Amino acid sequence: MISDITLGQFFPGNSPIHKLDPRTKILLAIAYIVAVFLADSPVAFLFLILFSVVIVLISRISMRVILRAIRPILFILIFTALISLLMTVGEDEPLVSFWIIRIYTEGIYRAVLMGIRVILLIIGSSVLLTYTTSPIALTDGIESLLSPLKLFHIPVHIFAMMMSIALRFIPTLIEETEKIMNAQKSRGADFTTGSIVKRAKALIPLLVPLVISAFKRADELATAMECRCYRGDKKRTKLVKLQMHARDFLFFAVFAALIAAVVLLRIFTPAILERLPGAFWQIVFHRIR
Amino acid sequence: MNKIELENVSFRYSKGTPFEKIALDDISVGFEEGKITGLIGHTGSGKSTLVNLLNGLYKPTEGRVLLDGRDIHENPKEIGKIRAKVGLVMQYPEYQLFDETVRADIGFGPRNLGLSAEEIDERVKEAAAFTGITEQMLSSSPFDLSGGQKRRAAIAGTLAMRPEVLVLDEPAAGLDPRGRREILGGIREYVRKTGITLILVSHSMEDMALYCDNVVVMNNARVFRTGTVGEIFSDAQSLSEIGLDIPRVAKIAAELCRRGIPLEGELYTVEGVAAAIRSYLQRKEADV
Repeated sequence: MISDITLGQFFPGNSPIHKLDPRTKILLAIAYIVAVFLADSPVAFLFLILFSVVIVLISRISMRVILRAIRPILFILIFTALISLLMTVGEDEPLVSFWIIRIYTEGIYRAVLMGIRVILLIIGSSVLLTYTTSPIALTDGIESLLSPLKLFHIPVHIFAMMMSIALRFIPTLIEETEKIMNAQKSRGADFTTGSIVKRAKALIPLLVPLVISAFKRADELATAMECRCYRGDKKRTKLVKLQMHARDFLFFAVFAALIAAVVLLRIFTPAILERLPGAFWQIVFHRIR
Repeated sequence: MNKIELENVSFRYSKGTPFEKIALDDISVGFEEGKITGLIGHTGSGKSTLVNLLNGLYKPTEGRVLLDGRDIHENPKEIGKIRAKVGLVMQYPEYQLFDETVRADIGFGPRNLGLSAEEIDERVKEAAAFTGITEQMLSSSPFDLSGGQKRRAAIAGTLAMRPEVLVLDEPAAGLDPRGRREILGGIREYVRKTGITLILVSHSMEDMALYCDNVVVMNNARVFRTGTVGEIFSDAQSLSEIGLDIPRVAKIAAELCRRGIPLEGELYTVEGVAAAIRSYLQRKEADV
């Protein structure tokens, strides 16, 4: 059924990650993404993987749910890895040379690390943001972080409000789609068989009522908001004020250390390599370009 | 004879997830051919789920749905034919209107059946006549109609498919008394004329008493009682046990009986009770 789709699903909970200020989480997610892109050696990635596992454990979100987040991007993941594997041209002789395929050691490094990078990005952003932050808190956080833009007369509050309304109505629209689909199926509409043109045409009886009711809903919502004297961000106060706690600063420190560690590894990798001969260390500290 | 029948049907939403919910719990119920059967029960008692099972929109988790004695899910490719035979009008059906004119919208179902243009036109006219849609309305956009007219156009869209079983889920919800009478009266006339089987879901006991032959009472995902209108409404006690009411006029009749005025006849419609009181008064006069 359509309603089984999970879109940026939020899992309510009480873990230290859940309790973080949404602004903190947004900044941490950015820091995490920077760290993932700065990492360039197997040892750095090993370090990041360990770090991510600890974050997941702290968030108390089950590994099964985390793995489910990866499933939709599996295709992109394999595709990126394959491209890296086949397109990288190394300095040494190719390891495999078959037909037009040439695979170099560098290619293997890149394919594996690209894959890990994408997986880490998904896990990090979903654990830090979508899984542990309610959509409302998330938009509140974005609004607060973007509020300096108000100086340039950018209506930050309105954007944030639009975003939270859009998020709020996703489940409603899914439910409505299902309802209209069933009504038209009852009148003999067939959404699943026939040529592409026929199927596209079959969507008209679904889309027209859906768009009309969305407009109607928007209109009603606007009226309801105005009835309660909503008028944009003109001196609007908040019921729940965002507030940073000691916890937030602790996490900031940890993530700053993470970035520092990755940067240091990046800088010192060549020096470490010179001091540690041997094939094992060569692989661990291999610098991927 | 039962036109359509549920045999030990259970239905669960989101089976196998933590959100699993039992909507129907091993129910068996039949709907008599050519009769109007009312389906009543509280919100959440499983009425709408049952309705969605009747034309195969939902598939029972357990049990079978039989149309003319055959399982409707016997051949999954034929489900379109089942939906042509079992016409379902959902709650607030006006949201399903989409076409440029009311005529084209009512013709959507017949077009999906692959009928000829003349046949479609004839069926649209017939359905429009029963639901009180004028020639002028047929040529206008469905979005220019009033709420009650939209509702009637949507019902006409299903009537035009000439179903053998018609299922109406709260067809009169949110309409004024006159709109109710027009819609329900028109449908009853259609049913009597064509001899189709009608299943009418409603909250209103008055509507049940006025328009139905049989009644199925649902409670907590199970069938609570089945019987003719007379049988169901003469047992006010058990209905009130599950928090349902009997028609107001039936309450008055019951109260009169309790106070020593014996009434006989159809004691659940205004006409029936009026006739019973009249005959009581005549008998009393004759005695004097």
